[in-house]
Amino acid sequence: ATRRRLIPQRVALVLTQAAVKKVRTLMDGRPDMIGIKVGVRTRGCNGLSYTIEYAKEKSKQDEVVVQDGVTVLIDKKAQLTLLGTEMDYQESKLASEFVFHNPNIKGTCGCGESFSL
Amino acid sequence: HRSRQLTSVSSHSWSSQSSLPVCGGRRLLKTEAQTANITDELRLSDSCVKRLKKISEKDELLRVVVEGGGCSGFQYKFELDKNIGEDDRVFTKDGVGVAVDKESLDFLKGSTIDYHEELIRSAFRIINNPNADHGCSCGASFSLKLD
Repeated sequence: ATRRRLIPQRVALVLTQAAVKKVRTLMDGRPDMIGIKVGVRTRGCNGLSYTIEYAKEKSKQDEVVVQDGVTVLIDKKAQLTLLGTEMDYQESKLASEFVFHNPNIKGTCGCGESFSL
Repeated sequence: HRSRQLTSVSSHSWSSQSSLPVCGGRRLLKTEAQTANITDELRLSDSCVKRLKKISEKDELLRVVVEGGGCSGFQYKFELDKNIGEDDRVFTKDGVGVAVDKESLDFLKGSTIDYHEELIRSAFRIINNPNADHGCSCGASFSLKLD
């Protein structure tokens, strides 16, 4: 048998425990979905902004990240911008949100929703 | 680059504004006059009322402050507060209250306070602000409409 060739690969997205917990809660409420899907779209004062939606199925070009039993799909367009990013979930009485700590980001908007690469 | 400068017209009132969020030494006051039940100046959406009921403790109000900052010049800030100052207006609905100081109210008149929930973010926000021109996409920052 031919030897398996190892290709170094980094996980595109790392979830913090808080994010894993939140995704799990979201999934418990929507058992018909396989996971959540992270995408980017052109919006905001700094060019790009992340989006999150429920994913019913994996489309061909999605990258799949499975961590601690939760599935996060990454849209093709978002893959490059997300590489090496940590996804966190922050919760307070006034606001709860997913936060992306992205080492590739050059600039962000005041509220942190919009960013440029 | 972010614009952190305030317009010269409003810089005076806003410099005194910056110390507001701390609310140190504010008295807990509740008089008829201050608890104005006029909702035509600031509306509370149903989702806002629902969320406030869930998170606020006894006598706790949602304080909305407008301050200089953000990518469009001004930004909204939300916090929970038990103290009502003399220059505050309080808007109540179904047992929950929102406190706004006089300077901030000038910028907020006619708008609606909403609690918006979506997958990526759930937060309080200001919608339909007639004083605000276009703002940041996230709605946290805005610039003023010039007459």
